[in-house]
Amino acid sequence: MSEPTPILTTEKLVMQFGGVTAVDHVDFSLNPGELRCLLGPNGAGKSTFFKCLTGQLKPTSGTIRLNGQDITGWETHAIVNLGVGIKTQVPNLFDGLSAYENIRMAARRRHLKPMAKERAEEMLEKCGITHLARREVGLLAHGQRQLVELATVLAPAPALVLLDEPAAGMTGAERDRLADLVLETARRAAVVVVEHDMAFIRRIAKFTTVFNRGAIFREAMIGDIMTDRAVQEIYLGKQADVAA
Amino acid sequence: METSLHRDAGFWVMIAIGLALLVAGPLVWDLFQIMQITQYVVLSVYVLSLSYIWGFGGILSFGQAAFFGLGAYTFSVASINMGETTFPFLLAFGLPALFGAALGYFMFYGKLSDVYMGVVTMVVTLIFWKLINHTAGPEYAIGDARLGGFNGIPSVPVLNVPGKPEAWLDPGQMFQVFMAILVILYIVLRTLIASDFGRVSLGIRENETRAALLGYDVRRHKVIVFAIGAGIAGMAGGMWATYQTFVDPNVFSLEMSAKALIWTMAGGVGTLAGPIIAVVVLQYLSLKLGEMHVLNNNFILGGIMMVLVLLVPKGGLPTLRDALVALKARTPAALQR
Ligand SMILES: Nc1ncnc2c1ncn2[C@@H]1O[C@H](COP(=O)(O)OP(=O)(O)OP(=O)(O)O)[C@@H](O)[C@H]1O
Ligand SMILES: [Mg+2]
Repeated sequence: MSEPTPILTTEKLVMQFGGVTAVDHVDFSLNPGELRCLLGPNGAGKSTFFKCLTGQLKPTSGTIRLNGQDITGWETHAIVNLGVGIKTQVPNLFDGLSAYENIRMAARRRHLKPMAKERAEEMLEKCGITHLARREVGLLAHGQRQLVELATVLAPAPALVLLDEPAAGMTGAERDRLADLVLETARRAAVVVVEHDMAFIRRIAKFTTVFNRGAIFREAMIGDIMTDRAVQEIYLGKQADVAA
Repeated sequence: METSLHRDAGFWVMIAIGLALLVAGPLVWDLFQIMQITQYVVLSVYVLSLSYIWGFGGILSFGQAAFFGLGAYTFSVASINMGETTFPFLLAFGLPALFGAALGYFMFYGKLSDVYMGVVTMVVTLIFWKLINHTAGPEYAIGDARLGGFNGIPSVPVLNVPGKPEAWLDPGQMFQVFMAILVILYIVLRTLIASDFGRVSLGIRENETRAALLGYDVRRHKVIVFAIGAGIAGMAGGMWATYQTFVDPNVFSLEMSAKALIWTMAGGVGTLAGPIIAVVVLQYLSLKLGEMHVLNNNFILGGIMMVLVLLVPKGGLPTLRDALVALKARTPAALQR
């Protein structure tokens, strides 16, 4: 049996800001339909990595391939239109518009008008925010905004879903729903989740990648990662740095 | 928040007012009043060019006068050469729109920040103003039309009935045609804003990153919106030239750009009706104050502007709307007591 063609690969991906190397020669590979957790202490480069993947940042060097196609340096919208959805760490939403309109516009990119409406209502329901449909998203609580953004990401049913700290600011119930949603999404799409919330990670994680100082530090099953002394140390070391 | 257009009472009210004025105006006004109100109509078309791109596309232009002037000169030169006005009028929209597309392409694909965009649009206006001021000599002519430098072009043709170059419109008819243009423009813009294209513009105004992350081509979209605004400003310029039967470099003045900004702010960014009302009120005020010769006109306008910005920062119409909503919300409680 041959290996499946990865949906996403990066080769020697580098992103530098002046003297700071935020992403440092990352060789990453993700299979279609895979659910991957991406861990790492603050400043490890996780968000920067996502921004490179979605064209929000142009990598300094290296290659990004989506379904084998070289997309390095492409414009964001062109990458997204190949079937990529991203929930950013700080939610990016159309603050002055309603939750419904935010989600409908996401669906509209892929679907005809009537279908987009249907899809938007379905996503509101799925994310448990039907009661927020008419509310202006700029006025919602952080956890609710996270859910609205998640609904906009999932509405066009992308083949690759990137979620940057989706559980932040959520209540326990919202988090449980989120975990179920992520697991369900992963049945049809490849998903990469960045999270610091360990309880949440435990519920969803299988194969896991750990970043440290911009580079891949470990890749293993979550059980092994949890008991890995070195991984604990980079997390603790970081916390010690913060404490100091 | 996102009521559909045909259920928006304000939309129908605006159209009704426009049509009522169109029909009744020439019957009840004297010639002077018609001329005065025609000017408001032309300037309303002009202000919509900015109100649309700024309020509904998030594009702040300090150089709408560049397109206004370009439209005015395009119309003048073309109509003098062609001996009729219909095609020149279309050209007054088309040429500035093309120029707007080119300038927009340079600005949005060049990823200029908002501040630099403001500077570039302003500088372009200045360049036009400088250039056209230097065309006084007889060698500066396009066909039969001498540009005339700072003296401008006299005897720009009055609008004629399409296909009949000899059938000039009288002032009443000209008012009616312009009013019809304003009403149609209002309907077209409101429809455009309510369409999916317009929704994307709003999305880009709210958050460019998210718009791109949903797969919308932000730069191309902004170029199109900017070009539409440029075309409308150009058309207003054409209307201005034929209304005055005269055009000079002042159409390219920074004051002309600033006025569009002031009217839009005064009326409310994010509405179309507000800025139209602002044109009428502020132009009327400046006319009256100008007649009194007490204070410098610009000084007074500047004062009005400062008061507006400080007291009604959202602009006239949105403030009024909020007040009405607040009043409505309060009434039931008051009745209970
Ligand atoms: N636009 C930027 N300009 C300069 N430095 C940046 C920029 N964006 C990120 N960095 C730096 O790159 C490094 C990686 O940041 P990044 O946000 O990717 O980390 P992260 O793993 O997402 O952290 P967190 O868990 O806190 O979100 C940090 O040192 C950060 O300061
Ligand atoms: Mg991050």
